[in-house]
Amino acid sequence: MEYMLHLLILVGIYIMLSQSLNLSAGFGGMMSLAHAGFYGVGAYTAALFAVNYQLPFLLVLPIAMLLSGLLALIVSAIALRTVDSYFIVCTLGIQVVIFSLMHNWTSLTRGAFGIPGIPSIELFGVMIQSRLSFLFLTLFLVVLMFFFLKKLTESSFGRTLRALSEDEIFAQSLGKNVYLFKVITFTMSAMFAAVPGTLYAHYITYIDPTSFTIDESVFILSIVIIGGMRNLWGSVIASAFLVLLPEALRFVGMPSSVAANIRQIIYGGILIFMMFRYNRGVAHKYE
Amino acid sequence: MQLLILILIIFSLTLLIGFSFSIAYQSSNFFNFTKAIIITFAPYFTYLFFVQLQLSLFLSISLAIICTTAIGMLSEIVLYKPLRKCNSSHVALMLSSLGLYIVLQNIISLLWGDRPLSVRTGEIRTGHEFFGSVISNTQIVTVTVCLVLFTACAFFMKCSRIGRNIRAVASNPELSNIVGICSDRIILWAFAIGSALASVAGILIAFDTDMRPTMGFSWLFYGVAAMIIGGMGSNRGLIGGALLLVTAQYLTSYYIGSRWMDAITYVILILFLIIKPLGFSGKRLKKVEI
Repeated sequence: MEYMLHLLILVGIYIMLSQSLNLSAGFGGMMSLAHAGFYGVGAYTAALFAVNYQLPFLLVLPIAMLLSGLLALIVSAIALRTVDSYFIVCTLGIQVVIFSLMHNWTSLTRGAFGIPGIPSIELFGVMIQSRLSFLFLTLFLVVLMFFFLKKLTESSFGRTLRALSEDEIFAQSLGKNVYLFKVITFTMSAMFAAVPGTLYAHYITYIDPTSFTIDESVFILSIVIIGGMRNLWGSVIASAFLVLLPEALRFVGMPSSVAANIRQIIYGGILIFMMFRYNRGVAHKYE
Repeated sequence: MQLLILILIIFSLTLLIGFSFSIAYQSSNFFNFTKAIIITFAPYFTYLFFVQLQLSLFLSISLAIICTTAIGMLSEIVLYKPLRKCNSSHVALMLSSLGLYIVLQNIISLLWGDRPLSVRTGEIRTGHEFFGSVISNTQIVTVTVCLVLFTACAFFMKCSRIGRNIRAVASNPELSNIVGICSDRIILWAFAIGSALASVAGILIAFDTDMRPTMGFSWLFYGVAAMIIGGMGSNRGLIGGALLLVTAQYLTSYYIGSRWMDAITYVILILFLIIKPLGFSGKRLKKVEI
Protein backbone atom coordinates (compact mmCIF):
# COMPACT_ATOMS: atom_id res chain seq x y z
CA MET A 1 0.00 0.00 0.00
CA GLU A 2 2.80 2.40 0.98
CA TYR A 3 4.52 1.52 -2.26
CA MET A 4 1.40 2.26 -4.27
CA LEU A 5 1.25 5.69 -2.65
CA HIS A 6 4.90 6.26 -3.49
CA LEU A 7 4.23 5.42 -7.15
CA LEU A 8 1.20 7.72 -7.24
CA ILE A 9 3.28 10.60 -5.87
CA LEU A 10 5.89 9.98 -8.57
CA VAL A 11 3.15 9.93 -11.21
CA GLY A 12 1.91 13.25 -9.84
CA ILE A 13 5.38 14.77 -10.08
CA TYR A 14 5.77 13.61 -13.67
CA ILE A 15 2.31 14.88 -14.59
CA MET A 16 3.37 18.34 -13.46
CA LEU A 17 6.65 18.10 -15.32
CA SER A 18 5.09 16.96 -18.56
CA GLN A 19 2.31 19.52 -18.40
CA SER A 20 4.68 22.38 -17.81
CA LEU A 21 6.74 21.19 -20.77
CA ASN A 22 3.56 20.80 -22.81
CA LEU A 23 3.01 24.53 -22.41
CA SER A 24 6.26 25.39 -24.18
CA ALA A 25 6.70 22.36 -26.45
CA GLY A 26 3.08 21.72 -27.39
CA PHE A 27 1.41 25.11 -27.32
CA GLY A 28 4.43 27.28 -27.95
CA GLY A 29 6.13 24.95 -30.43
CA MET A 30 9.45 25.10 -28.57
CA MET A 31 10.77 21.59 -28.04
CA SER A 32 13.07 21.83 -25.07
CA LEU A 33 15.58 19.32 -23.82
CA ALA A 34 16.45 21.49 -20.82
CA HIS A 35 13.39 20.70 -18.73
CA ALA A 36 15.15 18.38 -16.29
CA GLY A 37 17.60 21.22 -15.76
CA PHE A 38 14.86 23.59 -14.58
CA TYR A 39 13.33 20.78 -12.53
CA GLY A 40 16.75 20.38 -10.93
CA VAL A 41 17.12 24.10 -10.31
CA GLY A 42 13.79 23.97 -8.46
CA ALA A 43 14.87 20.98 -6.42
CA TYR A 44 18.27 22.41 -5.54
CA THR A 45 16.87 25.80 -4.60
CA ALA A 46 14.34 24.17 -2.32
CA ALA A 47 16.93 21.89 -0.78
CA LEU A 48 19.51 24.60 -0.18
CA PHE A 49 17.06 27.09 1.32
CA ALA A 50 15.33 24.49 3.46
CA VAL A 51 18.55 22.96 4.77
CA ASN A 52 20.66 26.09 5.20
CA TYR A 53 18.05 28.67 6.22
CA GLN A 54 15.14 26.48 7.45
CA LEU A 55 12.71 28.46 5.33
CA PRO A 56 9.10 27.18 5.29
CA PHE A 57 7.74 25.44 2.20
CA LEU A 58 5.33 28.25 1.32
CA LEU A 59 8.28 30.61 1.03
CA VAL A 60 10.64 28.14 -0.65
CA LEU A 61 8.19 27.33 -3.42
CA PRO A 62 7.91 30.87 -4.85
CA ILE A 63 11.67 31.42 -4.46
CA ALA A 64 12.37 28.24 -6.42
CA MET A 65 9.88 29.24 -9.09
CA LEU A 66 11.38 32.71 -9.35
CA LEU A 67 14.95 31.48 -9.60
CA SER A 68 14.09 28.87 -12.20
CA GLY A 69 12.04 31.44 -14.09
CA LEU A 70 14.84 33.98 -13.95
CA LEU A 71 17.29 31.48 -15.35
CA ALA A 72 14.84 30.52 -18.07
CA LEU A 73 14.26 34.19 -18.89
CA ILE A 74 17.95 34.82 -19.47
CA VAL A 75 18.46 31.56 -21.30
CA SER A 76 15.40 31.86 -23.53
CA ALA A 77 16.05 35.49 -24.40
CA ILE A 78 19.30 34.24 -25.88
CA ALA A 79 18.32 30.80 -27.16
CA LEU A 80 15.11 31.88 -28.89
CA ARG A 81 17.08 33.66 -31.55
CA THR A 82 17.65 30.26 -33.09
CA VAL A 83 14.93 28.13 -34.61
CA ASP A 84 13.82 24.52 -34.90
CA SER A 85 16.61 21.99 -34.63
CA TYR A 86 19.10 24.62 -33.53
CA PHE A 87 16.85 25.58 -30.67
CA ILE A 88 16.75 21.94 -29.53
CA VAL A 89 20.53 21.71 -29.72
CA CYS A 90 20.73 24.97 -27.79
CA THR A 91 18.47 23.67 -25.01
CA LEU A 92 20.48 20.47 -24.94
CA GLY A 93 23.55 22.60 -24.31
CA ILE A 94 21.76 24.49 -21.52
CA GLN A 95 20.80 21.19 -19.93
CA VAL A 96 24.41 19.99 -19.96
CA VAL A 97 25.66 23.29 -18.55
CA ILE A 98 23.09 23.23 -15.71
CA PHE A 99 23.94 19.61 -14.96
CA SER A 100 27.61 20.31 -14.89
CA LEU A 101 27.04 23.26 -12.55
CA MET A 102 25.09 21.00 -10.18
CA HIS A 103 27.76 18.33 -10.45
CA ASN A 104 30.88 20.48 -10.22
CA TRP A 105 30.05 23.56 -8.18
CA THR A 106 30.96 21.63 -5.07
CA SER A 107 31.12 24.57 -2.69
CA LEU A 108 27.42 25.23 -3.25
CA THR A 109 25.82 21.93 -4.23
CA ARG A 110 28.26 19.42 -2.72
CA GLY A 111 28.58 17.93 -6.22
CA ALA A 112 28.04 14.21 -6.61
CA PHE A 113 27.49 13.73 -2.86
CA GLY A 114 24.15 15.49 -3.13
CA ILE A 115 22.26 17.25 -0.35
CA PRO A 116 20.90 15.00 2.40
CA GLY A 117 18.51 15.74 5.22
CA ILE A 118 15.95 17.96 3.53
CA PRO A 119 13.19 18.52 6.13
CA SER A 120 9.56 17.53 5.64
CA ILE A 121 7.04 20.10 4.57
CA GLU A 122 5.20 22.04 7.24
CA LEU A 123 1.97 23.72 6.15
CA PHE A 124 0.03 25.96 8.57
CA GLY A 125 1.51 24.19 11.57
CA VAL A 126 0.76 20.69 10.21
CA MET A 127 3.72 18.45 9.42
CA ILE A 128 3.22 16.53 6.21
CA GLN A 129 5.10 13.38 6.98
CA SER A 130 2.98 10.41 5.96
CA ARG A 131 2.84 9.31 2.36
CA LEU A 132 -0.91 9.77 2.22
CA SER A 133 -0.84 13.42 3.23
CA PHE A 134 2.01 14.08 0.81
CA LEU A 135 -0.04 12.49 -1.94
CA PHE A 136 -2.90 14.86 -1.17
CA LEU A 137 -0.56 17.83 -1.37
CA THR A 138 0.81 16.59 -4.69
CA LEU A 139 -2.66 15.99 -6.07
CA PHE A 140 -3.75 19.44 -4.96
CA LEU A 141 -0.85 21.03 -6.83
CA VAL A 142 -1.42 18.84 -9.88
CA VAL A 143 -5.06 19.86 -10.07
CA LEU A 144 -4.17 23.51 -9.50
CA MET A 145 -1.61 23.47 -12.28
CA PHE A 146 -3.89 21.57 -14.60
CA PHE A 147 -6.69 24.10 -14.26
CA PHE A 148 -4.34 27.02 -14.56
CA LEU A 149 -2.83 25.65 -17.77
CA LYS A 150 -6.27 24.76 -19.09
CA LYS A 151 -7.55 28.28 -18.52
CA LEU A 152 -4.34 29.82 -19.82
CA THR A 153 -4.33 27.86 -23.05
CA GLU A 154 -7.98 28.59 -23.71
CA SER A 155 -7.48 32.30 -23.20
CA SER A 156 -6.43 34.71 -25.91
CA PHE A 157 -2.84 34.17 -24.79
CA GLY A 158 -3.19 30.46 -25.59
CA ARG A 159 -4.74 31.19 -28.97
CA THR A 160 -1.90 33.51 -29.87
CA LEU A 161 0.58 30.85 -28.85
CA ARG A 162 -1.12 28.30 -31.05
CA ALA A 163 -1.13 30.72 -33.94
CA LEU A 164 2.55 31.51 -33.67
CA SER A 165 3.56 27.88 -33.31
CA GLU A 166 1.67 27.19 -36.53
CA ASP A 167 3.05 30.03 -38.55
CA GLU A 168 5.40 32.50 -36.94
CA ILE A 169 5.53 34.97 -39.77
CA PHE A 170 1.78 35.06 -40.17
CA ALA A 171 1.35 35.71 -36.45
CA GLN A 172 3.91 38.47 -36.73
CA SER A 173 2.04 40.03 -39.61
CA LEU A 174 -1.03 40.24 -37.36
CA GLY A 175 0.96 42.43 -35.01
CA LYS A 176 1.86 39.84 -32.39
CA ASN A 177 5.23 40.14 -30.75
CA VAL A 178 6.34 36.58 -31.42
CA TYR A 179 9.66 36.82 -29.59
CA LEU A 180 8.09 38.23 -26.44
CA PHE A 181 5.34 35.62 -26.39
CA LYS A 182 7.87 32.84 -26.77
CA VAL A 183 10.11 34.17 -24.00
CA ILE A 184 7.12 34.50 -21.65
CA THR A 185 5.93 30.99 -22.43
CA PHE A 186 9.33 29.42 -21.99
CA THR A 187 9.85 31.24 -18.70
CA MET A 188 6.46 30.17 -17.40
CA SER A 189 7.09 26.61 -18.38
CA ALA A 190 10.37 26.62 -16.45
CA MET A 191 8.70 28.21 -13.43
CA PHE A 192 6.13 25.44 -13.35
CA ALA A 193 8.90 22.85 -13.68
CA ALA A 194 10.33 24.15 -10.39
CA VAL A 195 7.15 23.15 -8.51
CA PRO A 196 7.62 19.38 -8.93
CA GLY A 197 11.31 20.01 -8.23
CA THR A 198 10.62 21.38 -4.75
CA LEU A 199 8.13 18.61 -4.10
CA TYR A 200 10.64 15.98 -5.15
CA ALA A 201 13.35 17.43 -2.92
CA HIS A 202 11.08 17.47 0.14
CA TYR A 203 9.65 14.07 -0.63
CA ILE A 204 12.86 12.07 -1.22
CA THR A 205 14.70 14.25 1.39
CA TYR A 206 17.94 13.70 -0.52
CA ILE A 207 18.91 14.98 -3.96
CA ASP A 208 21.95 14.53 -6.16
CA PRO A 209 22.66 15.61 -9.74
CA THR A 210 21.96 12.18 -11.27
CA SER A 211 18.19 12.80 -10.98
CA PHE A 212 18.42 15.72 -13.39
CA THR A 213 20.38 14.38 -16.35
CA ILE A 214 19.83 14.71 -20.06
CA ASP A 215 18.10 11.29 -20.02
CA GLU A 216 15.52 12.74 -17.67
CA SER A 217 14.92 15.60 -20.10
CA VAL A 218 14.47 13.17 -22.97
CA PHE A 219 12.09 11.16 -20.82
CA ILE A 220 9.92 14.19 -20.01
CA LEU A 221 9.86 15.25 -23.66
CA SER A 222 8.85 11.71 -24.64
CA ILE A 223 5.96 11.85 -22.19
CA VAL A 224 4.74 15.03 -23.84
CA ILE A 225 5.09 13.64 -27.35
CA ILE A 226 3.55 10.27 -26.52
CA GLY A 227 0.67 11.93 -24.68
CA GLY A 228 0.16 14.30 -27.56
CA MET A 229 1.19 17.86 -28.16
CA ARG A 230 -1.28 20.40 -26.76
CA ASN A 231 -3.12 17.61 -25.05
CA LEU A 232 -3.11 18.11 -21.28
CA TRP A 233 -5.09 14.96 -20.54
CA GLY A 234 -2.77 13.03 -22.83
CA SER A 235 0.20 14.08 -20.71
CA VAL A 236 -1.60 12.81 -17.59
CA ILE A 237 -2.22 9.40 -19.12
CA ALA A 238 1.23 9.13 -20.69
CA SER A 239 2.99 9.98 -17.40
CA ALA A 240 0.96 7.38 -15.55
CA PHE A 241 1.72 4.81 -18.25
CA LEU A 242 5.46 5.47 -18.51
CA VAL A 243 6.08 5.77 -14.78
CA LEU A 244 4.14 2.61 -13.97
CA LEU A 245 5.55 0.63 -16.93
CA PRO A 246 8.67 -0.69 -15.15
CA GLU A 247 6.49 -1.83 -12.24
CA ALA A 248 4.27 -3.70 -14.68
CA LEU A 249 7.35 -5.28 -16.26
CA ARG A 250 8.63 -6.30 -12.82
CA PHE A 251 5.22 -7.73 -12.07
CA VAL A 252 5.53 -9.94 -15.15
CA GLY A 253 8.71 -11.33 -13.62
CA MET A 254 11.48 -9.44 -15.34
CA PRO A 255 14.56 -8.68 -13.25
CA SER A 256 14.68 -4.96 -12.53
CA SER A 257 18.00 -4.41 -14.35
CA VAL A 258 16.50 -5.73 -17.58
CA ALA A 259 13.20 -3.98 -16.93
CA ALA A 260 14.88 -0.57 -16.94
CA ASN A 261 16.33 -1.19 -20.39
CA ILE A 262 13.14 -2.71 -21.73
CA ARG A 263 11.20 0.30 -20.53
CA GLN A 264 13.53 2.62 -22.42
CA ILE A 265 13.31 0.45 -25.53
CA ILE A 266 9.53 0.58 -25.32
CA TYR A 267 9.37 4.34 -24.95
CA GLY A 268 11.94 4.85 -27.67
CA GLY A 269 9.85 2.64 -29.91
CA ILE A 270 6.67 4.53 -29.10
CA LEU A 271 8.52 7.79 -29.78
CA ILE A 272 9.47 6.61 -33.28
CA PHE A 273 5.94 5.36 -33.90
CA MET A 274 4.47 8.66 -32.72
CA MET A 275 6.60 10.54 -35.25
CA PHE A 276 4.75 8.79 -38.05
CA ARG A 277 1.41 9.64 -36.49
CA TYR A 278 2.35 13.11 -35.22
CA ASN A 279 3.19 14.11 -38.67
CA ARG A 280 0.07 12.73 -40.24
CA GLY A 281 -2.09 14.18 -37.45
CA VAL A 282 -0.76 17.66 -37.99
CA ALA A 283 -1.19 17.41 -41.74
CA HIS A 284 -4.73 16.17 -41.25
CA LYS A 285 -5.76 18.97 -39.01
CA TYR A 286 -4.27 22.00 -40.61
CA GLU A 287 -4.09 21.42 -44.34
CA MET B 1 53.98 19.24 -25.19
CA GLN B 2 51.87 16.40 -23.80
CA LEU B 3 48.96 18.79 -23.96
CA LEU B 4 49.67 19.48 -27.63
CA ILE B 5 49.72 15.77 -28.45
CA LEU B 6 46.47 15.25 -26.57
CA ILE B 7 44.90 18.16 -28.44
CA LEU B 8 46.11 16.70 -31.74
CA ILE B 9 44.55 13.29 -31.00
CA ILE B 10 41.20 14.60 -29.86
CA PHE B 11 41.22 17.14 -32.67
CA SER B 12 41.64 14.45 -35.33
CA LEU B 13 38.86 12.33 -33.83
CA THR B 14 36.53 15.31 -33.54
CA LEU B 15 37.35 16.27 -37.09
CA LEU B 16 36.47 12.82 -38.42
CA ILE B 17 33.22 12.63 -36.47
CA GLY B 18 32.23 16.15 -37.42
CA PHE B 19 32.93 15.38 -41.06
CA SER B 20 30.96 12.12 -40.98
CA PHE B 21 28.06 13.96 -39.40
CA SER B 22 28.17 16.83 -41.82
CA ILE B 23 28.06 14.54 -44.90
CA ALA B 24 24.81 12.98 -43.74
CA TYR B 25 23.50 16.25 -42.36
CA GLN B 26 23.98 18.20 -45.56
CA SER B 27 22.02 15.80 -47.71
CA SER B 28 19.24 14.81 -45.32
CA ASN B 29 19.00 18.09 -43.42
CA PHE B 30 18.25 17.00 -39.88
CA PHE B 31 20.18 16.37 -36.68
CA ASN B 32 20.75 12.67 -36.67
CA PHE B 33 21.16 11.42 -33.10
CA THR B 34 21.51 7.88 -34.43
CA LYS B 35 25.06 8.74 -35.45
CA ALA B 36 25.94 8.65 -31.74
CA ILE B 37 24.90 5.03 -31.56
CA ILE B 38 26.81 4.27 -34.76
CA ILE B 39 29.95 5.49 -32.99
CA THR B 40 29.09 3.17 -30.10
CA PHE B 41 28.07 0.15 -32.12
CA ALA B 42 31.34 -0.11 -34.04
CA PRO B 43 33.57 -0.91 -31.04
CA TYR B 44 30.98 -3.29 -29.62
CA PHE B 45 30.94 -5.20 -32.89
CA THR B 46 34.72 -5.22 -32.83
CA TYR B 47 34.54 -6.59 -29.30
CA LEU B 48 32.07 -9.26 -30.44
CA PHE B 49 34.21 -10.45 -33.35
CA PHE B 50 37.63 -9.94 -31.85
CA VAL B 51 37.27 -10.90 -28.19
CA GLN B 52 34.16 -13.06 -28.12
CA LEU B 53 34.49 -14.88 -31.48
CA GLN B 54 38.31 -14.78 -31.55
CA LEU B 55 38.65 -13.64 -35.16
CA SER B 56 41.77 -11.87 -36.34
CA LEU B 57 42.06 -8.16 -35.60
CA PHE B 58 41.97 -6.98 -39.19
CA LEU B 59 39.01 -9.17 -40.11
CA SER B 60 37.00 -8.19 -37.06
CA ILE B 61 37.56 -4.48 -37.61
CA SER B 62 36.45 -4.71 -41.23
CA LEU B 63 33.43 -6.82 -40.28
CA ALA B 64 32.54 -4.32 -37.56
CA ILE B 65 32.73 -1.41 -40.00
CA ILE B 66 30.55 -3.29 -42.49
CA CYS B 67 27.94 -4.22 -39.86
CA THR B 68 27.80 -0.69 -38.46
CA THR B 69 27.48 0.85 -41.90
CA ALA B 70 24.66 -1.59 -42.57
CA ILE B 71 22.88 -0.36 -39.43
CA GLY B 72 23.29 3.23 -40.58
CA MET B 73 21.89 2.42 -44.00
CA LEU B 74 19.05 0.36 -42.55
CA SER B 75 18.01 3.25 -40.32
CA GLU B 76 17.73 5.40 -43.43
CA ILE B 77 15.79 2.80 -45.44
CA VAL B 78 13.42 1.68 -42.71
CA LEU B 79 12.86 4.89 -40.78
CA TYR B 80 13.91 8.16 -42.36
CA LYS B 81 12.93 7.50 -45.96
CA PRO B 82 9.30 6.64 -45.11
CA LEU B 83 9.20 9.62 -42.75
CA ARG B 84 10.47 11.94 -45.48
CA LYS B 85 7.93 10.48 -47.85
CA CYS B 86 5.09 11.69 -45.66
CA ASN B 87 6.55 15.18 -45.51
CA SER B 88 7.84 15.20 -41.97
CA SER B 89 9.39 18.33 -40.59
CA HIS B 90 13.04 18.01 -39.63
CA VAL B 91 12.06 18.29 -36.00
CA ALA B 92 10.01 15.10 -36.39
CA LEU B 93 12.94 13.40 -38.09
CA MET B 94 15.23 14.54 -35.31
CA LEU B 95 12.93 13.23 -32.59
CA SER B 96 12.52 9.89 -34.33
CA SER B 97 16.29 9.58 -34.54
CA LEU B 98 16.39 10.33 -30.81
CA GLY B 99 13.89 7.50 -30.30
CA LEU B 100 16.04 5.16 -32.36
CA TYR B 101 19.07 6.22 -30.35
CA ILE B 102 17.32 5.31 -27.10
CA VAL B 103 16.22 1.93 -28.47
CA LEU B 104 19.62 0.94 -29.87
CA GLN B 105 21.55 2.20 -26.84
CA ASN B 106 19.44 0.04 -24.54
CA ILE B 107 19.85 -2.93 -26.83
CA ILE B 108 23.61 -2.54 -26.43
CA SER B 109 23.19 -2.29 -22.65
CA LEU B 110 21.07 -5.45 -22.68
CA LEU B 111 23.50 -7.43 -24.82
CA TRP B 112 26.83 -6.34 -23.39
CA GLY B 113 25.99 -4.76 -20.04
CA ASP B 114 26.59 -1.24 -18.78
CA ARG B 115 30.10 -1.65 -17.42
CA PRO B 116 32.99 -0.40 -19.55
CA LEU B 117 34.62 -2.97 -21.84
CA SER B 118 37.97 -2.89 -23.56
CA VAL B 119 39.14 -4.26 -26.88
CA ARG B 120 42.78 -3.84 -25.94
CA THR B 121 44.74 -7.06 -25.74
CA GLY B 122 48.05 -7.78 -24.10
CA GLU B 123 49.63 -5.64 -21.44
CA ILE B 124 49.72 -1.90 -21.76
CA ARG B 125 53.00 -0.81 -23.28
CA THR B 126 54.63 2.48 -22.57
CA GLY B 127 54.49 4.81 -25.52
CA HIS B 128 57.30 6.36 -27.51
CA GLU B 129 59.30 9.27 -26.25
CA PHE B 130 58.60 12.25 -28.42
CA PHE B 131 60.14 15.62 -27.52
CA GLY B 132 59.90 14.84 -23.86
CA SER B 133 56.36 13.53 -23.92
CA VAL B 134 54.72 10.18 -24.48
CA ILE B 135 52.63 8.96 -27.38
CA SER B 136 51.42 5.39 -27.77
CA ASN B 137 51.20 3.33 -30.94
CA THR B 138 47.41 3.45 -30.90
CA GLN B 139 47.48 7.21 -30.72
CA ILE B 140 49.86 7.48 -33.67
CA VAL B 141 47.55 5.19 -35.66
CA THR B 142 44.53 7.25 -34.55
CA VAL B 143 45.96 10.54 -35.72
CA THR B 144 47.23 9.11 -39.02
CA VAL B 145 44.04 7.25 -39.88
CA CYS B 146 41.81 10.20 -39.00
CA LEU B 147 43.79 12.75 -40.97
CA VAL B 148 44.25 10.46 -44.00
CA LEU B 149 40.58 9.49 -44.05
CA PHE B 150 39.50 13.10 -43.68
CA THR B 151 41.70 14.26 -46.54
CA ALA B 152 40.67 11.35 -48.74
CA CYS B 153 36.98 11.86 -48.12
CA ALA B 154 37.16 15.61 -48.55
CA PHE B 155 38.85 14.96 -51.89
CA PHE B 156 36.25 12.31 -52.72
CA MET B 157 33.43 14.72 -51.96
CA LYS B 158 34.97 17.32 -54.21
CA CYS B 159 35.92 15.27 -57.21
CA SER B 160 34.00 12.02 -57.52
CA ARG B 161 30.59 11.70 -59.10
CA ILE B 162 28.92 10.57 -55.91
CA GLY B 163 30.47 13.41 -53.96
CA ARG B 164 29.24 15.95 -56.47
CA ASN B 165 25.79 14.40 -56.41
CA ILE B 166 25.69 14.52 -52.62
CA ARG B 167 26.48 18.21 -52.76
CA ALA B 168 23.84 18.73 -55.41
CA VAL B 169 21.17 17.03 -53.31
CA ALA B 170 22.32 19.04 -50.30
CA SER B 171 21.77 22.33 -52.04
CA ASN B 172 18.47 21.49 -53.67
CA PRO B 173 16.87 18.01 -53.61
CA GLU B 174 14.01 18.80 -55.98
CA LEU B 175 16.17 20.37 -58.64
CA SER B 176 18.59 17.46 -58.51
CA ASN B 177 15.68 15.07 -58.94
CA ILE B 178 14.70 16.98 -62.06
CA VAL B 179 18.15 16.71 -63.61
CA GLY B 180 18.11 12.97 -63.02
CA ILE B 181 19.85 12.44 -59.69
CA CYS B 182 17.89 10.04 -57.52
CA SER B 183 17.98 11.95 -54.23
CA ASP B 184 16.98 8.93 -52.14
CA ARG B 185 19.87 6.87 -53.41
CA ILE B 186 22.29 9.74 -52.89
CA ILE B 187 21.10 10.25 -49.33
CA LEU B 188 21.62 6.52 -48.76
CA TRP B 189 25.17 6.91 -50.07
CA ALA B 190 25.72 9.83 -47.75
CA PHE B 191 24.49 7.77 -44.81
CA ALA B 192 26.77 4.89 -45.77
CA ILE B 193 29.88 7.07 -46.04
CA GLY B 194 29.00 8.96 -42.86
CA SER B 195 28.37 5.76 -40.90
CA ALA B 196 31.58 4.14 -42.12
CA LEU B 197 33.64 7.17 -41.06
CA ALA B 198 31.86 7.36 -37.71
CA SER B 199 32.46 3.66 -37.07
CA VAL B 200 36.17 4.04 -37.79
CA ALA B 201 36.26 6.91 -35.30
CA GLY B 202 34.38 4.80 -32.74
CA ILE B 203 36.79 1.88 -33.07
CA LEU B 204 39.79 4.18 -32.71
CA ILE B 205 38.31 5.73 -29.58
CA ALA B 206 37.68 2.28 -28.11
CA PHE B 207 41.25 1.17 -28.74
CA ASP B 208 42.61 4.25 -27.01
CA THR B 209 40.23 4.30 -24.04
CA ASP B 210 37.38 2.06 -22.93
CA MET B 211 33.90 1.76 -24.37
CA ARG B 212 30.56 2.07 -22.69
CA PRO B 213 27.03 2.17 -24.12
CA THR B 214 26.67 5.92 -23.65
CA MET B 215 30.04 7.00 -25.03
CA GLY B 216 28.81 8.05 -28.46
CA PHE B 217 26.71 10.96 -27.33
CA SER B 218 29.37 13.34 -26.05
CA TRP B 219 31.70 12.51 -28.94
CA LEU B 220 28.97 13.19 -31.46
CA PHE B 221 28.33 16.51 -29.83
CA TYR B 222 31.95 17.51 -29.95
CA GLY B 223 31.79 16.79 -33.68
CA VAL B 224 28.52 18.65 -34.13
CA ALA B 225 29.80 21.60 -32.15
CA ALA B 226 32.89 21.72 -34.35
CA MET B 227 30.65 21.60 -37.41
CA ILE B 228 28.40 24.42 -36.23
CA ILE B 229 31.35 26.58 -35.18
CA GLY B 230 33.03 26.00 -38.51
CA GLY B 231 29.92 26.57 -40.56
CA MET B 232 27.85 24.08 -42.50
CA GLY B 233 29.39 22.44 -45.54
CA SER B 234 32.81 23.93 -45.25
CA ASN B 235 35.77 21.63 -44.69
CA ARG B 236 38.18 24.40 -43.84
CA GLY B 237 35.67 25.77 -41.35
CA LEU B 238 35.33 22.33 -39.82
CA ILE B 239 39.08 22.08 -39.28
CA GLY B 240 39.11 25.53 -37.68
CA GLY B 241 36.08 24.72 -35.56
CA ALA B 242 37.48 21.44 -34.31
CA LEU B 243 40.82 23.07 -33.54
CA LEU B 244 39.23 25.95 -31.63
CA LEU B 245 36.90 23.66 -29.70
CA VAL B 246 39.49 21.08 -28.67
CA THR B 247 42.05 23.70 -27.75
CA ALA B 248 39.49 25.49 -25.60
CA GLN B 249 38.51 22.20 -23.96
CA TYR B 250 42.02 21.20 -23.07
CA LEU B 251 43.13 24.64 -21.97
CA THR B 252 40.10 24.63 -19.66
CA SER B 253 40.94 21.23 -18.30
CA TYR B 254 44.57 22.28 -17.83
CA TYR B 255 43.95 25.58 -16.09
CA ILE B 256 40.56 25.18 -14.43
CA GLY B 257 39.81 21.47 -14.17
CA SER B 258 38.74 18.67 -16.45
CA ARG B 259 35.27 18.57 -14.87
CA TRP B 260 34.31 21.72 -16.75
CA MET B 261 35.22 20.35 -20.19
CA ASP B 262 31.68 19.42 -21.21
CA ALA B 263 30.28 22.70 -19.95
CA ILE B 264 32.82 24.76 -21.87
CA THR B 265 32.04 22.83 -25.07
CA TYR B 266 28.37 23.66 -24.83
CA VAL B 267 28.96 27.24 -23.77
CA ILE B 268 31.09 27.77 -26.88
CA LEU B 269 28.48 26.02 -29.00
CA ILE B 270 25.65 28.15 -27.65
CA LEU B 271 27.68 31.33 -28.05
CA PHE B 272 28.34 30.46 -31.67
CA LEU B 273 24.72 29.52 -32.33
CA ILE B 274 23.69 32.94 -31.12
CA ILE B 275 26.40 35.34 -32.14
CA LYS B 276 27.54 33.80 -35.36
CA PRO B 277 25.03 31.17 -36.49
CA LEU B 278 26.79 30.90 -39.82
CA GLY B 279 30.04 29.83 -38.23
CA PHE B 280 33.38 30.97 -39.58
CA SER B 281 32.14 30.47 -43.09
CA GLY B 282 29.70 28.34 -44.96
CA LYS B 283 26.11 28.46 -45.95
CA ARG B 284 23.29 30.33 -44.28
CA LEU B 285 21.31 28.17 -41.89
CA LYS B 286 17.74 27.59 -42.77
CA LYS B 287 15.66 30.10 -40.85
CA VAL B 288 11.90 30.07 -40.63
CA GLU B 289 10.33 28.98 -43.87
CA ILE B 290 7.89 31.33 -45.49
